[in-house]
Amino acid sequence: MPSIIVNGVEIEQDEDGFIQNPELWNEEVAKALAKQEGIEELTEEHWKVVNYLRNYYLQFQIAPMIRKLCKETGFSLKKIYELFPSGPAKGACKVAGLPKPTGCV
Amino acid sequence: MSAAVKKVFDDYRVLSDEALQPEKPRVKEFLAAMKKSLQRDNWTFWLPYVLSLEACMKCGTCGEVCPVYQASGRKEIYHPVYRADMLRKIYKRYFTWPGRLFPALVGAEDLTEEKLNALAENVYRCTVCRRCAVACPMAVDNGVIVREARKILDAIGIAPEELKENGTAKQLQAGNAPGINTAAFLDMVEFLEEEIREARGYEVKIPVDKEGAEYLLMHNAGDYLAFAETVMGAAEIMHAAGADWTLNSPQTGINDAVNYGVFYSDAEFARIIKAQVETVKRLGARVLVVGECGHAFEAFKYLILRLIPEKERPFEIKSILELIDQWIKEGRLKLDPQKNPEPVTFHDSCKLGRLGGMYEEPRRILKAACADFREMSPNREMNLCCGGGSGFAIMEKGNFLEFHMETYGKLKAEQLKATGASIVACACSNCKAQFREIIRYHKLPMRYAGVSELVANALVR
Repeated sequence: MPSIIVNGVEIEQDEDGFIQNPELWNEEVAKALAKQEGIEELTEEHWKVVNYLRNYYLQFQIAPMIRKLCKETGFSLKKIYELFPSGPAKGACKVAGLPKPTGCV
Repeated sequence: MSAAVKKVFDDYRVLSDEALQPEKPRVKEFLAAMKKSLQRDNWTFWLPYVLSLEACMKCGTCGEVCPVYQASGRKEIYHPVYRADMLRKIYKRYFTWPGRLFPALVGAEDLTEEKLNALAENVYRCTVCRRCAVACPMAVDNGVIVREARKILDAIGIAPEELKENGTAKQLQAGNAPGINTAAFLDMVEFLEEEIREARGYEVKIPVDKEGAEYLLMHNAGDYLAFAETVMGAAEIMHAAGADWTLNSPQTGINDAVNYGVFYSDAEFARIIKAQVETVKRLGARVLVVGECGHAFEAFKYLILRLIPEKERPFEIKSILELIDQWIKEGRLKLDPQKNPEPVTFHDSCKLGRLGGMYEEPRRILKAACADFREMSPNREMNLCCGGGSGFAIMEKGNFLEFHMETYGKLKAEQLKATGASIVACACSNCKAQFREIIRYHKLPMRYAGVSELVANALVR
């Protein structure tokens, strides 16, 4: 299993890079995950997406609808792909420390 | 393929090391499971399976119509016969007399651990689109062989986690494969009601868990997360038709039409569909409406017939396409095609079209809902699989996305471009997920849409 070490803490990831224990997530972890996604710096716009995903996940234990994510952040899906090249599910959710989305998404 | 993953077949790996366990000896187990698959009580496709193992005359016709083989530049390893022969050689060697006595004479070969690993990967290079089965002069169905091989492999513990742990197992435990709990589900429905209000300027109430409603509409639950426009469209259609209908939340049982057992396991298939039938009975609906999902249609319309006796499923089953088509004919839905003026083409999902025979309903619907409907060519039973089938759309380990973009996806992109359409309509979530990627990967100036979405947009109120 791959893993990343952030501030001395080893965080396990699944084969697709999603962290195994969402509770170990923090902003430093997000930055490290973003680097793995090829995102060198998390801008305010990135954080807007990440924080929305994170808060929705903490409330409902699942990622929000993509349509809702766009609406609540004010970003088009195209814009979200620009921010997270792997897309909302495989890119943004990963950086936000959510488990890998499952089912036909 | 990441460097850490062992190469067992080609440059891709669909099965994780955990699922494949490439170092573990499993030939004996495999042969025992295969022996079982050849017994008559293999209730799904025993006869076509055995005939397909016996009857191939190696004419190669299947390869001429196989999107993977053609798009790969005719690589032998991707020929449908090469793939089927991986299982056929085992069949001949261990389960026929001539093969046991004179293996070299009949093309029988010993099974080795390496061959087993290669087979396990290669059965996930085919979407079981069965275009080859239409073309075969001997009626050999390579798709059935691939699915039976996937079943044998699953029986010895080899299956992609997207389909098993995170698919069928999760669906049984959570009610749906994405793992949407009831609170989240209700939040989603409320959001969709708001979205419809904002977009259309009128209220559409979306009923949830209404007992005794005439129609229980079960979507592919992934649609709520990724293809919400299809769910909204369906709600507007139900409302416009004045239907007594409901969605259901996971607290009523299963609220996801998918059944990944269709792709790899009869045992999992049976568990899921039984739980789905129990859910429909509990809610007391007269008609189960299957949302826009290809393999769910195959499961509910055809595979169910062999498994669950009619008296144990006291409700009708209809695809949402059949229902929309019927309601347009009856005048219950009024559409103005000028509301969808862009050129629209239709993609025949393999499991709705080639496997389900549903060719005319979506065409009648789209011609009523869109001003400029264009066929793509070829279409109907010879349409090209988009490459999302049998779970490929959600299998993206390592660089596997590249595989389905450069094979099926490449041919599909050319086919789409030739139509000049700006919208490709389809009625299957796997197809939608695949089109989402094809449009991005091949930079096509178009979008995809669910049939329900286009119909809702054309509604005259």
